[in-house]
Amino acid sequence: MRIMFIDNDGGGFADYIDISEGMSVEQFFKDRMPDRKAENYLIRVNRQPVPRDYVLQENDRITITPTKIAGAVS
Amino acid sequence: MEDTRKLVKIADEIRSSLAELQQSRRHECIRKIKDSLEKLGQLNHNADMFESCLSRGWVSAANMSGSRVYSLLHEFTHTTLRTKDLLGERGEIPPLRFLVDELKQLRQEFGSFDFEQHRLSVVTEPITLEGFYLGPFRIEMDISGLNDIYRQTPYFVIALDPHPAATDEAVTHPHVSNEKICEGDGAMTMRLALLQGRLCHFFSMIRSILNTYNPDSPFVSLDEWEGIACYECGYVMNRENCYFCPFCDRDYCEECSTYCRGCDESVCLGCSADCEICEERFCKGCLASCSECGCVCCQGCMEDGLCLNCKEQIEQENKENENQQENNEQQKNQIKKQRETTPSEQVRLTG
Repeated sequence: MRIMFIDNDGGGFADYIDISEGMSVEQFFKDRMPDRKAENYLIRVNRQPVPRDYVLQENDRITITPTKIAGAVS
Repeated sequence: MEDTRKLVKIADEIRSSLAELQQSRRHECIRKIKDSLEKLGQLNHNADMFESCLSRGWVSAANMSGSRVYSLLHEFTHTTLRTKDLLGERGEIPPLRFLVDELKQLRQEFGSFDFEQHRLSVVTEPITLEGFYLGPFRIEMDISGLNDIYRQTPYFVIALDPHPAATDEAVTHPHVSNEKICEGDGAMTMRLALLQGRLCHFFSMIRSILNTYNPDSPFVSLDEWEGIACYECGYVMNRENCYFCPFCDRDYCEECSTYCRGCDESVCLGCSADCEICEERFCKGCLASCSECGCVCCQGCMEDGLCLNCKEQIEQENKENENQQENNEQQKNQIKKQRETTPSEQVRLTG
C-alpha cells in the first residue's frame, strides 16, 4: 500500500513509497532507519504523535524529524 | 470560527510568499547554470592553452597552465554541484488547507505561535547544553523576506533570557551569532521544508539545532563559554586574545605577558626578566648569569660566560697587567745592562 514518507534527516526525502500492509510505525522505523534510535526522532503520523504499535494505513503521512541536528559555523 | 479565519488569512500570506520563493529559486537556478557555463568556458580556454604549451615543449608555461586548469576544475565542480542541489530542491506551492494544518501543528508542537508584521514566530523551551543554561529562544521567520532567501537569511533566533558567551555578547548559543543560526547538517533539509511549505518541520529543525552541541564548529565552544581568565590579573578573554606561557603552562592576557626578544616565544612577566645590560625582555631560557659579577643578561650581552662589562673590565685589567709586565721587563733589562758595563765605562759614562 502507498504512504507519504517525509524524512527530515540528512539530505531530506519527501515522496510516496510502497509498504506492506499491517506494518507498524516501529517496524517502519527499523526498516527505514536501521542504525538509528527512535527516541532521537519526532515521529508523526498525519501530524499527530502515535504509539509505536500504530499500524500504518493507506495514504497515511509519516514524518521523521531528528531532535538533534549539528549546527556549524559556515 | 474566528481562529480559523485568522489562520486562513495567515496561511494565505504565507502561500503568496512561497509562490515568490519558488520564482526566486527558478531565477537562482538560471543564474547558477550560467555561472557553471561561464566556468566551463574558462576551463575550455585554459585547457587549450595547456595543450598548446605542451605541444611546443614549454614546460614551465605548461605547468602554470596546468595549475590554472586544476583550480578551475575545482571551482567548476563546486559550482555544478551547488547548481544540481538547487535544481533538486523542488516543491510545489502547497494548497491553503495544507498551510492551515501546518499552522495548527506548529501550535501543537510549540504550544503557540505569533504572527505580527509579517513575522511568524515560535518560542522554544529553555535550552541547556552540557550544563550551560542558555534560556529559551524565539525563532522568527520574516515571511516577506522569503523570496530573497538565496541572498540573505530571512529567519532569526533571538535569545529571550540571554546567557551569552563571556567574550562575545552576540553569541547567545554556540551556533547562534547576531541572531543568525548556523544550520550545519540541517541546511538543505530546512530549505527543502520551506520550499514545500512544511513550516512545522522547518521550525522543529531549528529547535533541534538549538538542542544539539557540535563541539567541532561552534562560534564559541562551551569550554570557553565563560571565557579564559588571565592567571595573573583575572581578566576574562577569548582564546584568540590570550597568550600561553610555556614555562609555567598558564594563560595570560596581553597586559600580563610579553615576548622574548631572543627566541620570540610568548612568555608571562613572571617567567621573564630584563637583561641588565641592554634592558630588553627575555625568557628564562635566553638569560644567564655572569660568572664574574652574577648579573643576569642575554646571550647577546655575554661572551665566554662573562657579561660585556666584566669582559671589558677583565680585558682592561689584562692589558694593564701586560703593560706593567712589559715595563717591569724593560726595567729589568735596563738594570742588567747597567750591571754589565765595565767600571772604566762607568767612569766614562759618569764623567
